[in-house]
Amino acid sequence: MSELRTPQAGDDGAKDTDVVALLMRQHGDIRNLFDEVEAATGDERRDAFRRLVRLLAVHETAEEEVVHPFVRHGVPGGEDVVRDRLAEERAAKEALAALDEMDTDDPEFLPRLARLRTDVQEHARAEERYEFTHIRRSTDVTNLAAMAKAVKAAEAMAPTHPHPGVESGAKNVALGPVAALMDRTKDLVRRTMGKDG
Amino acid sequence: MTFNPLEQRGIPLDRQLRNWRELDVRPIDPDRCDPYTRCRVITMNGIEVEAILFSHQLARNTVDPEVKRQLARTRYIEAQQQKVVNWLLPGVSSVLETTIAYEQVAVDLTAWVARMEPDPYLKQAYEFGVLEDFDHLYRYANLYEMIEHRKAESIVDSLTEVMPGRPTKFHHRDPYDNVRDPYDKAATSPLSKLHALTVMSAEQQTMNFYMNTGPTYMEPIARQLYQEIGLIEEEHVTHYESLVDPGETWWEQLVNHEYNECYLYYSFMEQESDPQVKAVWELHLNMELEHLHTACDLMRRYDGREPQEVLAPELPNVLTFEPNKQYLRHLLDTQMDLTTLGAGYVREAHERFEKMQERIHGGEEPPSERVMAEHDRMFGREYRVESEGEHPDPRMREK
Repeated sequence: MSELRTPQAGDDGAKDTDVVALLMRQHGDIRNLFDEVEAATGDERRDAFRRLVRLLAVHETAEEEVVHPFVRHGVPGGEDVVRDRLAEERAAKEALAALDEMDTDDPEFLPRLARLRTDVQEHARAEERYEFTHIRRSTDVTNLAAMAKAVKAAEAMAPTHPHPGVESGAKNVALGPVAALMDRTKDLVRRTMGKDG
Repeated sequence: MTFNPLEQRGIPLDRQLRNWRELDVRPIDPDRCDPYTRCRVITMNGIEVEAILFSHQLARNTVDPEVKRQLARTRYIEAQQQKVVNWLLPGVSSVLETTIAYEQVAVDLTAWVARMEPDPYLKQAYEFGVLEDFDHLYRYANLYEMIEHRKAESIVDSLTEVMPGRPTKFHHRDPYDNVRDPYDKAATSPLSKLHALTVMSAEQQTMNFYMNTGPTYMEPIARQLYQEIGLIEEEHVTHYESLVDPGETWWEQLVNHEYNECYLYYSFMEQESDPQVKAVWELHLNMELEHLHTACDLMRRYDGREPQEVLAPELPNVLTFEPNKQYLRHLLDTQMDLTTLGAGYVREAHERFEKMQERIHGGEEPPSERVMAEHDRMFGREYRVESEGEHPDPRMREK
């Protein structure tokens, strides 16, 4: 692999006026982190996995709060589309929570991570194909931008990668279990959407 | 190599039909497969698509209803083969990921064929074309990082470098200059016929893929880039198909198609690392042997000639997917500035070329340039994989 690093969504130079483009880039960021976890060992793997857990938790929560409600209410047949996605998300979350309690050096860790990766990837593509297309088709530009802002706010709350200068700060934030992180993300997204939406 | 398809028998045609369960193949893993397994899948899909389309054209030019029925029987099996081969590709891959794999095929298949091609005029045609596919890979790789935040090396691995080739904006030539001279069917080596058919089929599939999947993108720059490169694939199909001697009869062409399928399935069976995929190549080879015999019978009946007169006495050296980095670097160093003039090549931009360039670009930067500018705005750099050192052409080094 080359030394080039792809910055994560929100840290690249994109204007982020479109929530769909932002979430699609985040899907790539998640895959990149899976790569990192698989390639690393020891403390590095532990660290990469922490970042993966945070990004997954924040990303999924933001989608649940921003994207799914929009599709459920704003798109004909949206109820069914969202039900399918939520079932996939529930399964992925359970697998994630189980992995989260495991030592990353456990011989069972990588095989289970590989299964999670497959599930997450299938879920991400299903979202892109069956849900995101509806959003772009049926919402206006302002709404796409407001949704993008909410997703970015969520990501900023639980840094999923070291921000220059705030590494120690990020480390000191007591992140707690996945569920607590999701709750805090939920609150934040709701506040942002309430203000701007 | 002693394998001679003319002397082997395969599975009888009436036992080749597969049911739904047999057609339902497990796709390859996009994140863990051998990139060259995916390249072989994409190549064989292009070959099967050409087999089907060629057979349809032949049927439309055939009067005898019994021959039409004969063609339809084989073609139905070929349609099943195409379904099995292309369905090895995983549903989770995005169009752009598959596109990057298509360009890896175009680069490493064409480069290998160029290296092995005995005829210097044909060799030049492949060398000319491969530097363009090489540049397409680079443009799409930059688009991929923009849209999906993923690096093309997660697809092509360390097997193929990603950096500028002949700049895409210069690929738009007057169609008059896209037609090459054909080989002479009586004088050329049988291997040259197989090469021409293989590369033409691969480029045709790429053309079809881009013309159909390009508009599924929502991002304006992606839609535009697929339009631009899609039009260059039209030029490439014109370029490669004109290498084939139009004096070959329909039946001779049919025999060449079937023989080539045997050659490629045999080649890929020999080098396949994925056991499930290898089993597909082996099964399909055994089907193709019978298709070849059927075609040979038709040629004997309608042309009154023996297929041995036009085919190689034995299968040529297996067609191989392998890195071609040094060879490509040599071409980047020596052939960047070429364009076509009539059926030949020149280094200077001539009047017809300039005129076409003026008209198609309309005084603006084409999508292939804008994608780089947009990528730069997003990342402050380009995406490249230069594993063997800096770009051989100093003008193409990243500023």
